[in-house]
Amino acid sequence: MTLMSRNMPKARDMSEGEMAIGFPLPHRRNEAWKWTDVRAFVPGNAAGISQEANPQFTASEEVKISRGDGHKGEGQMAKLAHYFAGESWNFYVAAGLKSATLDIENIARGHSHIAIMVDKGASLSMVEHHRAGSNSFANIDLQIHIAAGASLTRTIIHDDPADVTRISTACIAMEDDARLEQYTLSFGAGLTRFETRVHGEGENISAVINGTYLIDEKRHCDMTSHIELSAPNAHIRQAVKGVVTGKARGVFQGKFHVLQAAQLTDAEMRHDALMLSDSCEIRSKPELEIYADDVACAHGNTIGQLDEQALFYMRQRGIPVKAARALLTQAFVADVFDDMDDEDLRADILAKITTWLEA
Amino acid sequence: MLKINSLNASVDEGSKPILKGLSLEIPAGEVHAIMGPNGAGKSTLSYVLTGRDGYEVTGGSAALNGDDLLSMEPEERAAAGLFLSFQYPLEIPGVPSMTFLRTALNAQLKARGEDELGAPEFLKKARAIAAQLKIKPDMLRRPLNVGFSGGEKKRMEIFQMMMLEPKCIIMDETDSGLDVDALRIVADGVNALRAQDRSMLIITHYQRLLDYIVPDKVHVLVDGKIVASGDAGFAKKLEAEGYDAYVA
Repeated sequence: MTLMSRNMPKARDMSEGEMAIGFPLPHRRNEAWKWTDVRAFVPGNAAGISQEANPQFTASEEVKISRGDGHKGEGQMAKLAHYFAGESWNFYVAAGLKSATLDIENIARGHSHIAIMVDKGASLSMVEHHRAGSNSFANIDLQIHIAAGASLTRTIIHDDPADVTRISTACIAMEDDARLEQYTLSFGAGLTRFETRVHGEGENISAVINGTYLIDEKRHCDMTSHIELSAPNAHIRQAVKGVVTGKARGVFQGKFHVLQAAQLTDAEMRHDALMLSDSCEIRSKPELEIYADDVACAHGNTIGQLDEQALFYMRQRGIPVKAARALLTQAFVADVFDDMDDEDLRADILAKITTWLEA
Repeated sequence: MLKINSLNASVDEGSKPILKGLSLEIPAGEVHAIMGPNGAGKSTLSYVLTGRDGYEVTGGSAALNGDDLLSMEPEERAAAGLFLSFQYPLEIPGVPSMTFLRTALNAQLKARGEDELGAPEFLKKARAIAAQLKIKPDMLRRPLNVGFSGGEKKRMEIFQMMMLEPKCIIMDETDSGLDVDALRIVADGVNALRAQDRSMLIITHYQRLLDYIVPDKVHVLVDGKIVASGDAGFAKKLEAEGYDAYVA
């Protein structure tokens, strides 16, 4: 594989990060990356920038693990992941196997290429813990296939130091009657992006793609999704909530791309965010592109602040202002996780949010 | 006892005086009512006493049982025993009523250096009071005041008073939006809260509420100060004759 490409900038235009890997990075003049400028952010000495990552896996016996040449993703970051990560980690849940579990930990510095296949009628519940040491660079390319009648629950818990760069891209193909539930909790990083690309190829698929980001200081969190539907009867629910304070920047880009064959699609996208300081920032771009004529697609986007009157009411009852803010904020984001089946995991997520709010 | 002395307060960053030398004493064990025309400063008084942002005190004092209220944060005033029943109680989305109240009660106990109430004792107390006020357990599990009717919200205010056991209660237009049945339930609750160590101030437009909660004293508030006072019968006279005689 060659790292040279026609997009390769001239040496004098390359950033330190690009010099370190010899490859162009996404930057603000790429429309899809306009608010998440990897080129400008990544320092040349970021740990792991040109290395394979060393993720740790804990899987139930239903999950077969192998190394090999897994399906490759598209785009600059995916190419980088394949080049530096070498072989992919492959996880296979055979047809009909239920209740398989997979925990991925130590998705820390370096590049990872992970391929997951949940075969017909099987079910997998996976949890990703994303956390790196200071000044790390992490790039994850996930290729997921949910076969007919299979289901995947994917939970992402992310908490990085404020100087880390983390890009995670998941491409999820769904066959007939496939089900996906995805819950993301991110406390951001120096620059972070969780991108989810769903290819609804089968009929009657259903997907919940929920997430919340809570970011402070100068952290950055980007939740980007692209849901492409090419068969009838898809049911999609997406709710992303953001809480941004300090000088942090939250980014939401969501797109439903409904092809002509995807009649009777029922899809709803929401992004609601709270801005809790004067110098924080939210960038939001919800998009619907619809070619089918018999569909119900909606999107909503709100940005606001905590209700000062409600805060006063709570203080009048004796609740200190910090606790009142935390209670209102927790209530604002918590419903994103309401429908999680795993009660323990849900409780763990809510506890992490409480800890963040009370810090 | 609540003691207010020559209180002056403004809104709009001090440019618009609303309270102009208001003095009032409500001894423990007494219920006083304040009546007055629109714009006299009735609601401003309740917000100044509870410390809401946007009201600037420009003179005078207010103390509850000797504690200077005006120097405290709103939550400290609450812990000192001050409770305001809002004219329009706020909806708190996503926070169940019981969670809200337990957080409030324990925060107050902690601020006063008392032991916090454990979950079982809290639940026991809450259930008993809810039954007394005909509040269904389901309502306590729902987010506070969200989707509640006007009457339910007012009943929830009474519920909170009974749980928090404040030393001084201010009721701002508690009767607004209540039908007669709801009014009776609320009044019964308030009457049950009358106690030797508790002062109450009822702010109202209409005499109607005072048929159910009979005050020890009635004051007329006009243009930011108390201009006349009397006994419970005085309220009836005001209702019949209006405030014209007191408006300069």
